[in-house]
Amino acid sequence: MKKYFFIPLLLFTVLLAGCINKKIIDDVNITTGIGIDKEGEQYLGSAMIPVYNPDKSIENFIFTAKGTVVRDLMFQMQQTSSQPIVGGSLDVTLFDETVAREGIPHVLDVFLRDPSVGARVHLAVVDGKAKDIFEGKYGDRGNGRYLAELIESNYKTGNLPLTNLHQFLHDYYQKGKDPVLPYLRQTRPDLVNIAGLALFKGEKVVDVLDENKLFYFKLMVDYYSEGALKIKDEHGESFIKSIHSTYNFKVKNRNPYKFSVTLEVDGMLTEHTGKSLEKGEIKRIEKQMEKQIKKECLALLERFQENKIDPVGIGHFIKTQTRNFDFKKWEESYQNASFDVDAKVKIVEVGVIE
Amino acid sequence: MNNFFKKKKRWLQKSERSVEKQEQEIKKSLDYSKTHFINQKNNKTFTLTFIQTLVDDKIVNNNMLPPLIEEEIASVKEVEKRLPMSDIFVSKDKNEIENKLFHGYVMVTFDDSPEEFAFIGAAKNIGRSVTSPEIEFSVVGPKEAFIESLDQNINMIRKRLPIKELIAEEFKIGELTKTKVCLLYIDGVTNKQIINTVQQRLSEIDKDEISDSSYLTQIISDNGNSPFPQLLDSERPDRIVASLAEGKIAIVVDGSPHVLIGPTQLTEFFNSFEDYLLNWILASFIRLIRLFAVTFSIMITPIYVAVVTYHYELIPKDLLSTLIISRRVIPFPPILEALFLEVTIELLREAGARLPTKVGQTIGIVGGIVLGTASVEAGLTSNVLLIFIALSALASFTTPVYQMSNTIRILRFPFLFMAELWGLLGITIAFGFLLTHLLRLTSLGQPFMEPIFPFRVKDYKDALFRFPFNMQAKRPIFLRTEKPQRFSEEKAKKKKDIDE
Amino acid sequence: MQEPVHERLQISPFMAAFIVMAMQFGIGVLGFQRIVAKEAGYDAWISIIGIGLLVHFIVWIMYRICEAVDGDILTANVYVFGKAIGNTINSFFIIYFISACVAVLGGLVEVIRTWMFPNLSPLLFGSMYLILGIYIVYGGFRTVTGISFFGLVIPSYLLFSFAYAIRYGDFTNLLPILDHSPLELLKSAYSMSFTVLGFGVLLFFHPFIKNPEKSKKWVHGGIFLITLIYAILAIISFAYFPPALLNKSIWATLEMWKIVRLPIIERFEYLGIANWSLIILPNVAICLWTASRVIKHVFHLRQRKGVWFVAAICLLLILIVDSRERMDMFTSFHGKIGFGLAFVYTPLLYLAIIIAKKVKKK
Repeated sequence: MKKYFFIPLLLFTVLLAGCINKKIIDDVNITTGIGIDKEGEQYLGSAMIPVYNPDKSIENFIFTAKGTVVRDLMFQMQQTSSQPIVGGSLDVTLFDETVAREGIPHVLDVFLRDPSVGARVHLAVVDGKAKDIFEGKYGDRGNGRYLAELIESNYKTGNLPLTNLHQFLHDYYQKGKDPVLPYLRQTRPDLVNIAGLALFKGEKVVDVLDENKLFYFKLMVDYYSEGALKIKDEHGESFIKSIHSTYNFKVKNRNPYKFSVTLEVDGMLTEHTGKSLEKGEIKRIEKQMEKQIKKECLALLERFQENKIDPVGIGHFIKTQTRNFDFKKWEESYQNASFDVDAKVKIVEVGVIE
Repeated sequence: MNNFFKKKKRWLQKSERSVEKQEQEIKKSLDYSKTHFINQKNNKTFTLTFIQTLVDDKIVNNNMLPPLIEEEIASVKEVEKRLPMSDIFVSKDKNEIENKLFHGYVMVTFDDSPEEFAFIGAAKNIGRSVTSPEIEFSVVGPKEAFIESLDQNINMIRKRLPIKELIAEEFKIGELTKTKVCLLYIDGVTNKQIINTVQQRLSEIDKDEISDSSYLTQIISDNGNSPFPQLLDSERPDRIVASLAEGKIAIVVDGSPHVLIGPTQLTEFFNSFEDYLLNWILASFIRLIRLFAVTFSIMITPIYVAVVTYHYELIPKDLLSTLIISRRVIPFPPILEALFLEVTIELLREAGARLPTKVGQTIGIVGGIVLGTASVEAGLTSNVLLIFIALSALASFTTPVYQMSNTIRILRFPFLFMAELWGLLGITIAFGFLLTHLLRLTSLGQPFMEPIFPFRVKDYKDALFRFPFNMQAKRPIFLRTEKPQRFSEEKAKKKKDIDE
Repeated sequence: MQEPVHERLQISPFMAAFIVMAMQFGIGVLGFQRIVAKEAGYDAWISIIGIGLLVHFIVWIMYRICEAVDGDILTANVYVFGKAIGNTINSFFIIYFISACVAVLGGLVEVIRTWMFPNLSPLLFGSMYLILGIYIVYGGFRTVTGISFFGLVIPSYLLFSFAYAIRYGDFTNLLPILDHSPLELLKSAYSMSFTVLGFGVLLFFHPFIKNPEKSKKWVHGGIFLITLIYAILAIISFAYFPPALLNKSIWATLEMWKIVRLPIIERFEYLGIANWSLIILPNVAICLWTASRVIKHVFHLRQRKGVWFVAAICLLLILIVDSRERMDMFTSFHGKIGFGLAFVYTPLLYLAIIIAKKVKKK
């Protein structure tokens, strides 16, 4: 037995020296939302901490700090808090439009270096102040959860393209593609709305896409689209839910560049205000929709060209088609590129009545 | 085996002690009886010596005395021939006296030749009758369980295996208790090396007292310092017979209602005999459930401690609020909270086991409900943890083998300690130690983790799963039996074609 | 040539594959993507497959060496170079396996300190881990094999988690295929070779295989599987990260886990890291076993004592290489030795054996 003498010795050492920093769930402040606003020349940072009441309702407490460096903001907030503020369960990070237009790379650096921040954190640009959004009260599951689920449900079943921290970083670092972020607006003290899409050029926001253009944008960047669209023609209004869509880019010509974009949409008619649906009626709606998609998508692509941004990723696409691709030349040729949008719409379901 | 008897113990070796001296020693006991009788035919006097408490009066009065007194018997030789009893033998060895008397024999001596003794077996059998199994109870199947009598136990096994190949070797173990131990195996099936190992280990035992088969488990196990039992004990004769038929050995100990089986594997400890009585699909499913339950039972509290102490990031957002709310008022760190509850559960179990059945049940229910609710309300423990602990206690009861369920109770404490130290990382390291320990274990020289490692696909048919009987045509590989085939596989597999 | 190992201590041919696989699958998996992509960009998966083929060839040579001398590499060295020089070369392997142990365990400590517990004590963790390693080695080679088996089988479920990354992946990132020169591909293959090293342990445990001839197909199969896993993992990572982002990700595999969400586990990488300490375990155990076995062979020190000695040196080195730069330096140093041993020394040794055989025949 003599050779086992080290076991109690080891246990003792471990007990004495082994302790590492604990983060017991009820002894830390778990941040669910971080907001960065601009106030004058300084940043105004706010960290939203859910406060769990014994009756199972959740309230929010907001730490704020002012400073010129983002890291400094966190440090200041920490100083006012009785418990350590941790970011491992972060849900959303909001930037006000001024900050976003000035660029957010240093904020990204904070995220990249801290391994405790997940890749599924949602970033968004806010119309107004991020702090104001945090101060609202949305539902009883906490504001962080509400905002995250708002964005998630909108890209799962709505017109928002897939977006989170990873997607943003992916697009940001991808050559020939520019990132986008959802654009939020508080419409009521207890309601936040997705008002559109903030389009970035590098790290800066240069344009904001309106909410009604989202459907067409998503058609061009995302496969599993479950968005919805309202179609108006002389026979009345129809509401189409798109079940499935695919996009396909092709290079038609290289000098100057000419791309063809083919969009295939399988839709489902859920509402029709006109007379009863006749056989030709569906065909007509399909045609009308194709026309609308072509027009809007082309308009979008041209708008991006004008702003010298590329959220669709045309640059990345042409890079994958070309050996030894030169991005410097591409910047110029992008301006001269032209597009050909083709849409194929098929309405596969009309509901239970005809 | 013979070696064993040659090595007689030192204090017995005071050979050739006089009959008188032995008598003097034995006389001190109150139940010593020595009576003189006279044969009516030839007027010879003879003496009966026996220990009253060990001898059945009826045998002495009805079967032994009438012929001894009424018939013409003049010497111990004639006693052996004329008495209508089978268990008689004659000896001149004085050293036998003590041994035989204390095993319920009646000693007959004739006064004219006091150096010759006849020993007549008249042992009294006091013991309970066969009852239904309590620990390994099953709804279907035989309702017989072993009792404390070796003869009765072997009888139950022999009844089920009426073949001459079933060998029962006897050992006497214990300087004081002289416990009869019987090694059973089927000759021509069981691996000789395994038999040799057991024979050697049994004959090498040097202990004064053996009261139960569990003593033997601890003494002859390959690794005595392991919390894991390496020999299976069972109270069901049917299970023993099934194991013998597989090619294992069984050890029956006089005075113990549990029979040992070896060599065993880890997975066997999570098999109940009922698995063989049920359809194979149900049985396999139940086995998997049990394995899951065991893992759950060991791991859940350590995981709770690890996650709540270190890894709040892991918790899903919706669960996070539940957990935080439940822990809000708890003044202790998670490890103390968990230890407090675990120890409470252990106390309840221990108290329940020590008290009479009826009271024990009440204690369990009252203790569980009242203590649990009260400690949550008092803010000493969180209700989420209480649910986990209760579930893990419940899960640990699914282990069919009692010894193993004790092991499982103990195992979670090192895990808890490591979880407190390094969170999930600590749990992994504790798991590494557990795994290594299991890999190093052997049962009678055979690897304990088989068939998982060494990896033997063919032995999975009756380990983690229980495949249908027609797929069990071969004996387990790890037993290295001399006759690997149990029955003809072809016959079992043959199926009729459609419409034949 | 060599005293044969008792059959009781031998392992089945099937299990031999697990030891080789366990050695190949180490801490490098967490971050090899960035290193291979440095030279060959997103064509690097071709280099991975290429180096896999080369490993198959080297393993074939290794079997030939062991068959030629009917023993392990220690006997081979003595056979070719004589007792003095042979044993000098052999003692060099001790250093190699100690450094392998340090590279792996040090890497694990670094990952844990960066991702989970910034103030984890390397002394305490290292000693606990090494004691576990010693405990395994005390169980003999069969226990080492068992741990290799479990160290691969139990965490194999982690592979499924990468399916989540596919949803976020853009596989057009890999296009156009073969956008890089052969030289760049070769350079990338060279840097990949550090990650797949470790199969050389075959030369040391060859006498422990019950039926070496039968083990060939399993070992080659295992190496193929590992190469495949590396290639697939690389392709998924290339789809998941744009080049500029991958270049910033030191532990790309861990970064990919950040996207995984299961109903009961919000952040998968913590589970992954904890599990990784189980994957590393065979590496440490095999290194300790081999190093102590070589010590026994060369210096006639009992393995029971030798393994403590080896572990103590490992612990000391882990405490010394405690920063990112030192660790980088150490791994590249270790990689270069390993590369030299596996891809240069082994073929040369084989040639030398052929020559020596011919000379001795005459």
